[in-house]
Amino acid sequence: MAIINQATKELQVKIVYYGPAKCGKTTNLEQVHSNVKVASPENKGKMVSLATSSDRTLFFDFLPIEAMAIKGFKTKFQLYTVPGQVIYNTTRQLVLRGVDGIVFVADSQYDKMAENVESFQNLTDNLKSLKMNLNDIPYVLQYNKRDLPNVAPVEYMDFLLNNREVQVPAFTGSASKSEGVFESLNMITRLLLNKFINESARK
Amino acid sequence: MFTLPELIEEDVLELDGALGDLVTKSEATAALILDIGGFLIAQHGKMEGFDYTTIGALASASFAATQAMAGLVSETNFSSIYQQGESYSLLLNSIDGQCLLAVIFRAQISVGVIKYYASGTITRIGVQLTRARERSPDGGYDLSSLNLADPSELFRKKED
Repeated sequence: MAIINQATKELQVKIVYYGPAKCGKTTNLEQVHSNVKVASPENKGKMVSLATSSDRTLFFDFLPIEAMAIKGFKTKFQLYTVPGQVIYNTTRQLVLRGVDGIVFVADSQYDKMAENVESFQNLTDNLKSLKMNLNDIPYVLQYNKRDLPNVAPVEYMDFLLNNREVQVPAFTGSASKSEGVFESLNMITRLLLNKFINESARK
Repeated sequence: MFTLPELIEEDVLELDGALGDLVTKSEATAALILDIGGFLIAQHGKMEGFDYTTIGALASASFAATQAMAGLVSETNFSSIYQQGESYSLLLNSIDGQCLLAVIFRAQISVGVIKYYASGTITRIGVQLTRARERSPDGGYDLSSLNLADPSELFRKKED
């Protein structure tokens, strides 16, 4: 749930990068951290990675960024990743608490399709367990690792992951080369802020 | 870097013995050895209906988060966390930087007693893990790099 502080004119939103193990969620955050342009250095926080000794995400990665996204409102974006491995499901539920927007990162390699579908189902299940519904939360898809040789066609990935009643924006990318990273982030931000503006207008 | 050395029967018996002694002497409910990635390596004590697999994953995450917080306030000496409950409490200790000891105990038992006995257990487990690492420096596992949804690389056929 976005936190709006009318006194200080601050809006705080939480975006979670979700997806199967080794799909590139942490790489997305690393690329944002390394390459994002900010008005001043204080607008970009330190990236916190709670990872194992082999750099596998154990709890989450966290990156706070500030921007003036809506006129008059300082917006604080909190970017999180979840650990992808099956054993960390309870951990994923913890990270999802209070989520405002989701970037689902899928691995484009053919042999990872089952894991992508399983992870997407796991996302909907975990949201249900938190009494949330994916239909109410803005999300985008990122078909990552397009630079690898054995990737599935985008249409096939759409068929597997983007065949719900309402289709969502999907981006191809190669996070290690920063391709698709900012496109996905900007789109989820746009969806989130539109939702915020629409809800504010209704009140 | 392997988080867990290759363990042989001698190691497993020693780890189990160390946990057993701790549970008996301290009257703790259960004691667990966890890989730093949250994987359950050994356990001793009563189940009490607890899901030790999930406790392991969350305990390691909690340990890592608290360690990171300690780092942010320039605290480099960080080795344990204690969760005080009304029914059960939990003490988590680093063993050797790669493994954790988790002790679950009834809230009526003093944490001091648990800490006292746990320190000996940590030393004993640490010695055995060092012995295992020295015995086979190239053998071992980083369990967190295995995706358990895809065990295809866990068992591989020998090359002809």
